[in-house]
Amino acid sequence: MTFTASQLLALLPLLLTTGAMVALMLAIAWKRCDDTAFVVTIAGLNLALFSLPIVMAQGDQGVTPLLQIDGYAVFYMGLVLIGALATCTFGRSWLKGYPDNREEFYLLLLIATAGGLVLAGSRHLASLYIGIEMLTLPMFGLVGYAYRERHSLEASIKYMVLSAAATAFLLFGMALLYAQAGSLSFSDLGLTLATTPAHHPLLMGGLGLMLVGFAFKLSLAPFHLWTPDVYEGAPAPVATFLATVSKIAVFCVLLRFYLAVPAAADPMIHWLLAAMAVVSIVIGNLLALLQTNIKRMMGYSSISHFGYLLAVIVASRLGQMPVEAAGVYLLMYLFTSLGAFGVISMMSSPYRGKDADSLHSYRGLFWRRPYLTAVLTVMMLSLAGIPMTLGFIGKFYLIGVTVDAKLWWLSGAIVLGSALGLYYYLRVMVTLYLREPGMQLRDAKGDWAITSGGLVVLLSAALVVALGLYPQPVISLVQGFQNVVLH
Amino acid sequence: MQRIAWLIPVLPLAGAAFHGLLGRRAGKKAVTAVALGTVGISFILSLVLFFAAKGADAHRLDYTYFEWMTVGTLKVPFGLVFDPLSTVMALVVSGIGALIHLYSVGYMWEEEGYARYFCYLNLFVFFMLTLVLGSSLPLLFVGWEGVGLCSYLLIGYYIETDYAPAAGLKAFLFNRVGDLGMTMGMMALFATFGTLTVADILVKAGHMSPEVTCGVLTFATLMMFVGATGKSAQIPLYLWLPDAMAGPTPVSALIHAATMVTSGIYLICRLAPVFELTPTTLTVVAWTGGLTALFAATIGLFQRDIKKVLAYSTVSQLGYMFLGLGAAGFAAGFFHVFTHAWFKALLFLGAGSVIHGLHHQQDLFKMGGLKAKMPITFWTMVIATLCIMGFPGTSGFFSKDEILYLAYLKSPALYVIGLLGAACTAFYMWRLMGLAFWGEPRDHHAHDHAHESPWTMTGPLAVLAVGALLAGLLGIPKIWGGHFAIEGWLEPSLTYGKAEVAEAAEHGSHALAWGLMGLSTLVASGCALAGFLIYSKGTAAEEAFAERHPLLYRVLSNKYYVDEGVETFILAPVRWLGNLGWKLFDVILIDGVGVNLPGAVTRIAGDFTARTQTGRVRNYALGMAFGTVLLLWIFLK
Repeated sequence: MTFTASQLLALLPLLLTTGAMVALMLAIAWKRCDDTAFVVTIAGLNLALFSLPIVMAQGDQGVTPLLQIDGYAVFYMGLVLIGALATCTFGRSWLKGYPDNREEFYLLLLIATAGGLVLAGSRHLASLYIGIEMLTLPMFGLVGYAYRERHSLEASIKYMVLSAAATAFLLFGMALLYAQAGSLSFSDLGLTLATTPAHHPLLMGGLGLMLVGFAFKLSLAPFHLWTPDVYEGAPAPVATFLATVSKIAVFCVLLRFYLAVPAAADPMIHWLLAAMAVVSIVIGNLLALLQTNIKRMMGYSSISHFGYLLAVIVASRLGQMPVEAAGVYLLMYLFTSLGAFGVISMMSSPYRGKDADSLHSYRGLFWRRPYLTAVLTVMMLSLAGIPMTLGFIGKFYLIGVTVDAKLWWLSGAIVLGSALGLYYYLRVMVTLYLREPGMQLRDAKGDWAITSGGLVVLLSAALVVALGLYPQPVISLVQGFQNVVLH
Repeated sequence: MQRIAWLIPVLPLAGAAFHGLLGRRAGKKAVTAVALGTVGISFILSLVLFFAAKGADAHRLDYTYFEWMTVGTLKVPFGLVFDPLSTVMALVVSGIGALIHLYSVGYMWEEEGYARYFCYLNLFVFFMLTLVLGSSLPLLFVGWEGVGLCSYLLIGYYIETDYAPAAGLKAFLFNRVGDLGMTMGMMALFATFGTLTVADILVKAGHMSPEVTCGVLTFATLMMFVGATGKSAQIPLYLWLPDAMAGPTPVSALIHAATMVTSGIYLICRLAPVFELTPTTLTVVAWTGGLTALFAATIGLFQRDIKKVLAYSTVSQLGYMFLGLGAAGFAAGFFHVFTHAWFKALLFLGAGSVIHGLHHQQDLFKMGGLKAKMPITFWTMVIATLCIMGFPGTSGFFSKDEILYLAYLKSPALYVIGLLGAACTAFYMWRLMGLAFWGEPRDHHAHDHAHESPWTMTGPLAVLAVGALLAGLLGIPKIWGGHFAIEGWLEPSLTYGKAEVAEAAEHGSHALAWGLMGLSTLVASGCALAGFLIYSKGTAAEEAFAERHPLLYRVLSNKYYVDEGVETFILAPVRWLGNLGWKLFDVILIDGVGVNLPGAVTRIAGDFTARTQTGRVRNYALGMAFGTVLLLWIFLK
């Protein structure tokens, strides 16, 4: 197999990230130093991020049968890298108080990021599987990184056991598809399966089992049960990564798969996906209503957000601009989650045992840390989809897409879900501004704003507001990237 | 002109930014200057644009600044429109807004969060002007949500109390219910017309014929109306407005009486040609408005809190506006918005002056005899009261009678409802006046310390009083020799895009108009006199009434127990459902199945208990297994 120069250039983000991974391993073997580890990681990820324009300049590149580096891939690679960078900066503050080895945190993070990058460009079930596993396996270690905490260790084991089961389903589903189609690449699958009679048991069974795997990773109902526990147990920076990078990458590949394989648009599957979307929206929002733990609440809230996004997939064959809508929504979701989890991270850093995740810790935060509170307020407004935040633009797109596809009841579910959601987001906001302080077990450090994590949080808030008021740059960006995937 | 027009909304925004970022350091004087200056200049610019629009072709200036969003086929420009409707509304917002800013200086001077207050207030003016001037529905919606946010912040301004933040939250949630409708309506309009720019929608609607059956257009307008009921506090979404009085009184005057709550009416006027295509919706609008007008007025009869009386009166007056719109009298409805803005702002500011003078006493039963102590407040409030009861020659008289006349033409039943509401209005307003200003002081301590307010507060009262008297001149009806000037002025806005403008059909006769006018004047005057005579003597008569008709009195003074009903029948079940969901998943499914059915579960899911110490992960795995089996069953069956 030979690579042309432009193919190699197209692989640049992946190569740089894996390069950083190797460099970091060598650095750890030579001398443990968490500053070095941080610098190597940040440098590698930043180089990867800045290589994206070069990748873009190469145009649409198929690299081996496994990867398709097109605009769509570049866009999601960007999201993955931004999420990973932010996690790194949050992790650094958090690790300041961590008593054991700190360097492996960065290493695991880099491996998972590489997995995310593979998923962004995947056009083959083999690379899909490799990507998902590369993304998930390091997460076990990361979720359990605070292993002296019972919660953290427990979450890690739960995640591992359940994730392994889900992956087994995914793999078995792929095997069934292979048995039917004799190929693993998306385009071949699309061609072969188009001629397969509908409701062929191998085909349907394969797709169904794959759907289980995807639904687990995206925590869609009824495969969502792990989400709140793992979010709660994982250290706040890791929860950030789990909520953003790992879900965005999986969603990216799911959308590409769904668009490439027409058999996936079988009316039965279509109907089932819609039902899953509605159930996820309802369950996520209902369960979040009474949460007093902010990390669990974010977990439930992410269930509902991916329910909304699933609606886009349902609409993707009926209307226009689904890829665009998903891109805008995920961009919004990335920055908003980074901001919200960033604040939780700030509050829980440096590591001192359990995270500050009880809503009590945030009571009256405004009177102690007004700017941090402002950031969290903006993020809550954005998650709730209030205008003048990026969240509104995202909701606007989603509703627009479902209306365009004439899926009235699905858009009704989105609107209703947002109304329910507003209640608990507002509850968090109200708590922040109450006069009397709650239990001040934890608090952000006074100089949070001048740490790297603080800057990321402030930047996210600024972007959420600025792009909420003037979204055209986002829209143009996403539009520029979307044409490629639809060929 | 285009170069300066955008300053109208942006200046108050700059003011808000100044207060928010530098307010506390800059000091109260600087905050005052910036707050008044920005809104004042906005008012002057609005005036300039008003005359510019008047001189322009078709009385309309359409400025597009840039493409705001391009989503698929949908292009949303960021633009401002200056036409008769929007300029009048902008003048009301910035003009009355400026007066209320001035009044707030005196009212809020001693409060701790002075800069915070003006930050919110300036921000409110910005959003309200965006709502009014925006050329597309999404931009209007940004303003719509923004004013809701400011309203929420200002209602909860007294943050250290228990009830104010709760009231703010209530307002926000009720408004969201309305906004759901608005979102759906917007989407349905987009589905029908393929655009969300108001002018384009109206042009396309101009070529359509009325929809007799309930089609998409009826759905769209009905949903828009749901949005309007939320913002403009109509049945069934009116509950938040009385609670909103927890905010500072100038806020009640500006946001919850004069401007924000009328944006529902404004929205319908903006889309008037579309609403004309859907007679079903108009009937719904008319009946909702009429019923709200009467319902809220009866609640107002026995409220003891001076601001609550005025709050229910606002709900009731907003009902009249919708009644006018529903009777296809868009100009009449909007005329009432205009006159109401003056006299209701005046009433609230007057009430604020009384409250301020009595050191935060709001209970009418503890007032009395303030006539001599607060002469300017007293006289201006008399003027406002005459206006709201519809005393001949005042502004309220012209606008309300026009609405009642149109209501009669639509359905005599609506007229009767409106008339009863007007009777109640006259009664409770003079009850309020009698209790506050006449009779013996019932709380001597408060009365002894009562004083007239400073000029920054009485000045706006005087200006508003003049305005309240003169506002009626814009709409002198034909039978009085005028020609209902406001209708002609608004016509370019209300008929924009119509293929052919039909001559306004003349219904009814002069005799009918005179007869209805005479009847309503007579009824209102009678009730006013009764209210005044009973209550200027004190509270004894009401106490006697309460004893004679305990049930009726309790139901009315407890607002028909609607709040309690909502709590029991809506909120409690939702909470219960949330609880149930939590119990179902976390307790029954996980703990229950996990703990009580360990045998079967353990065998299936494997024994992880020792390792995880919770025994839950197997239940999660079990849940997954259930899901997978379900999925495969559906796929393969």
